[in-house]
Amino acid sequence: MKSFFDPTIRALNQNLNLREENQNIISGNIANADTPGYKAKTANFEQAMRDALDLSENVKLETSDHEHFGSKGAEAVQADIYDDPNGVESLDGNTVDRAAEMAKMKENQVLYNASIEALRKKIGMLEYGVSEGGGNK
Amino acid sequence: MADFFSSMRVSASGLDAQMKRMNTISSNIANAESQGYKRKDVEMTATPDRESFGDILQNKVDENTQGVLVTDIREDSKPQRLVYKPDDPNANPDGYIEMPNVNPVQEMANMISAQRSYEANVTAISAATQMANKAIELGR
Repeated sequence: MKSFFDPTIRALNQNLNLREENQNIISGNIANADTPGYKAKTANFEQAMRDALDLSENVKLETSDHEHFGSKGAEAVQADIYDDPNGVESLDGNTVDRAAEMAKMKENQVLYNASIEALRKKIGMLEYGVSEGGGNK
Repeated sequence: MADFFSSMRVSASGLDAQMKRMNTISSNIANAESQGYKRKDVEMTATPDRESFGDILQNKVDENTQGVLVTDIREDSKPQRLVYKPDDPNANPDGYIEMPNVNPVQEMANMISAQRSYEANVTAISAATQMANKAIELGR
């Protein structure tokens, strides 16, 4: 489908959605840092996003039927959420590492802000275009 | 639906749980020398984040985003501390009285843990707020 927004904007949009979801997962881990038996969850989407954005021809899946499994682009990327396999179980069965979760949260926040900045630049360029280069004076 | 309010609700549930934990710890420390008192501890359980009763009815509950809930405040089953005090009116025939099974050092350690967890949840709320504000700024 042709859209006013180019694939970059749609990819950034999906990236923001996924980072938001990741923030929810990390908040859940932090809130449950003292819950016995709770297993830390991790949301994995960065590699899927990278693959979806890889434009080189040799990795693209060719499809001959619309029901075939294929590359649907960045906006179809979903987060894979599972119990963190690297979690070390404490005596009460909890696997949350508070320091690691705080670091993950900060990283997520910085990358969210980076996506917002990129999106702002893209929107700024569109605005420049629709105002015939004049800007809103 | 995943949004920043979900993250904030989850962190708020964490704040609430740590506050209740702090209250039981204070109660334990305050009653460390009260005869007949038993050490109390909160029981925390992970619970899926839900926005409203309607969401639960429609099974729209996101199982991955889990808040925390204090489901019970239990008494510690450790035996009471026996202290030899034959003059006390409550002393048993051997001259011992039962003092609470509270270990002040353990309570202090728990207090630090509760405080750190509380701070972590506050940081999580600030992070979610900052990200939401950043998104709002896109429209400016």
